[in-house]
Amino acid sequence: MSDKDVAFISGAVRMYRERRGWYRSVCNVFMVGEKSRMEMRVMINVKELVDLENATQAKKIFWDQDIYDQEQERIFGRSWLFLTHDSLIPKNGDFVMSRMGEDKVIVSRQKDGSVEAFINSCSHRGNQVCHADSGNAKAFTCNYHGWVFGQNGDLVDVPLDTLCYHDNLKKAELGLRKVRVESYKGLIFGNMDPDAISLEEYLGDMCWFLDTILVGAGGGMELMGPPLRSVLDCNWKVPAENFVGDGYHVGWTHAAALQILGGPLAGLAGNRADMPYDDLGKQFTTRHGHGFGAINDAVTSIHPENEEYADFMAETRGVVAENLGTPREELYMSHWNCTIFPNCSFLYGTNTFKIWHPIGPGKIEVWTYTLVHKDLDIDVKRSIQRQAIRTFGTAGTLESDDGENMSTCTDSNRGFVTRKGRMNSTMGINREGRHPDFPGIVGASFIGETSYRGFYRFWAEIMDAPDWEAIKVQNDNWDEIWRGSEFWSDK
Amino acid sequence: MIDESRRVSMDIHYEISQHYFKEATYLQNWKLREWLSEMVDEEILYWMPIEENRLVKDRRPEPTPDDAAVYNDRYKHLKQRVEQIYTGQVWVEDPRSKIRYYVSNIEAFHTDVENEFAIRCNVLVLRHRRDTQIYQHSFLKEDLLRKTKAGFKVVRRKLTIDARSVQDKNLFFFM
Ligand code: FES
Ligand SMILES: [Fe+2]
Repeated sequence: MSDKDVAFISGAVRMYRERRGWYRSVCNVFMVGEKSRMEMRVMINVKELVDLENATQAKKIFWDQDIYDQEQERIFGRSWLFLTHDSLIPKNGDFVMSRMGEDKVIVSRQKDGSVEAFINSCSHRGNQVCHADSGNAKAFTCNYHGWVFGQNGDLVDVPLDTLCYHDNLKKAELGLRKVRVESYKGLIFGNMDPDAISLEEYLGDMCWFLDTILVGAGGGMELMGPPLRSVLDCNWKVPAENFVGDGYHVGWTHAAALQILGGPLAGLAGNRADMPYDDLGKQFTTRHGHGFGAINDAVTSIHPENEEYADFMAETRGVVAENLGTPREELYMSHWNCTIFPNCSFLYGTNTFKIWHPIGPGKIEVWTYTLVHKDLDIDVKRSIQRQAIRTFGTAGTLESDDGENMSTCTDSNRGFVTRKGRMNSTMGINREGRHPDFPGIVGASFIGETSYRGFYRFWAEIMDAPDWEAIKVQNDNWDEIWRGSEFWSDK
Repeated sequence: MIDESRRVSMDIHYEISQHYFKEATYLQNWKLREWLSEMVDEEILYWMPIEENRLVKDRRPEPTPDDAAVYNDRYKHLKQRVEQIYTGQVWVEDPRSKIRYYVSNIEAFHTDVENEFAIRCNVLVLRHRRDTQIYQHSFLKEDLLRKTKAGFKVVRRKLTIDARSVQDKNLFFFM
């Protein structure tokens, strides 16, 4: 072989090596030709993205378009997504707009008290049929050609039905695309996948935890709207993971706000060395990635001047102890930062409730409601709402610190070399496991990353699973990585 | 409630406009403590309601200060916000962002109380942050302004932001 030939061959080999991933993806596209068009995209190696053993994630999960597309299909297309709360659509005909991933949906209260949800896109030429945030309507009329849909999404009237369609239109088949709706103690969720497990199974052990507040001393909780809305340039997982388990950032990111706020949380400001971090609270994670961190005895700390709220909590805790037992009474009196997988987060005690609606890999719309105990006096609810928004609304004294971190965590992973790197979530890694008093996996301190690890464990599982059957068969060994832990056995 | 027939004279209008320009200068130069002590009355209600997109036929009442609002602050809350900026630990404002206020369409009216004026004006805010971030906000500012020996002070401020979904990291700035 001449030098020229060698150069040619090695050039070809190099080119093949460089483009290997691309050739493979093309092969994949052809090989799945029989499958639905949704499947026709680059296959993602999820195992490489989430390393469970070492608790690291690839930086590109916050940035990559292919990963995002797979999330839309496999997470937002199959998970139970928060739509609204009973308290926001109390009467027949009440409706609110919501989103499921990037799909816009209408959620509407029916005559018989049930709730229906359907996609906000006309079955004629696809126009959006409703542009109001909320209201009361017995019908939705499309602006384009005037098709009329009933409050349950059925097509009920078509202009020129006889004169121009000559009664040929199959109206019964042309209703708005329905969404599965189920609710848990007032929280209404929707699911796009007819094969998904029920909402209650999906929440799983989280129901036991949620009952602490959704049953509480009897009345449970409700949401106050309308939501604040704002667009933030960040990946949806950054705030979701922050709420699921980031007790760590509180003392640093929010140092200034906590210092000014005063009260018990001020002790966290600046990560002081003299705080008993292991005794401040715990973290929890469950089967489907839902999790939270709890700070002991901190339920009303963000409301240092609201005596009525503190009194209400003190008066009702006894009933909770009696009905639900001491472990949940303690949780009832704790402050929670929680995410219900994938994108529904709340702070119990601070009373803020947020949905992170994805709009592409680097953008979300944040919807912020106020979460309050139903049995409180209306004036107390209003003062809680003012303080919740003052701290965690769009102009919130704490929230304003977070937005910057969220978008920088996304944007800074864009760099070609940067995005090949990995992120670390190892805090408290050997200090967690099964606990005699609680379901799920329990981490030793609320300043830890147990619920991060649980969140990404399920993220990887659902991203990899072709269908819900493949997830169900893992029900008995999802907690494998924590199996060997004896952490709580001698405590 | 503004009585449209009671527009102020040219002299008073001049005085009031100068006050708003001076306020903008304070705010864009981070003279927040001065702004609060010289231009904000201790009785202040500083309010930015949330206005949903509703159908024209929707009969529900307009939002009141009892409803959800982006801002629903009294003097002590504004003071906390200002002091937070000066703790030296607000990382998002370090380095400081640039903020510019364009105040226009100032209309001023007498009220039933002497030395109290009802004001309406439009404000455009441009925020530049970090290397390339630019955010803009358009809003209506409706004030009850009191003339005191120490100059004008705002007693009640309603800020109506035109965007339903705010396109910014936060609205933590003073308006
Ligand atoms: S697109 Fe809705 S009626 Fe034609
Ligand atoms: Fe935070």
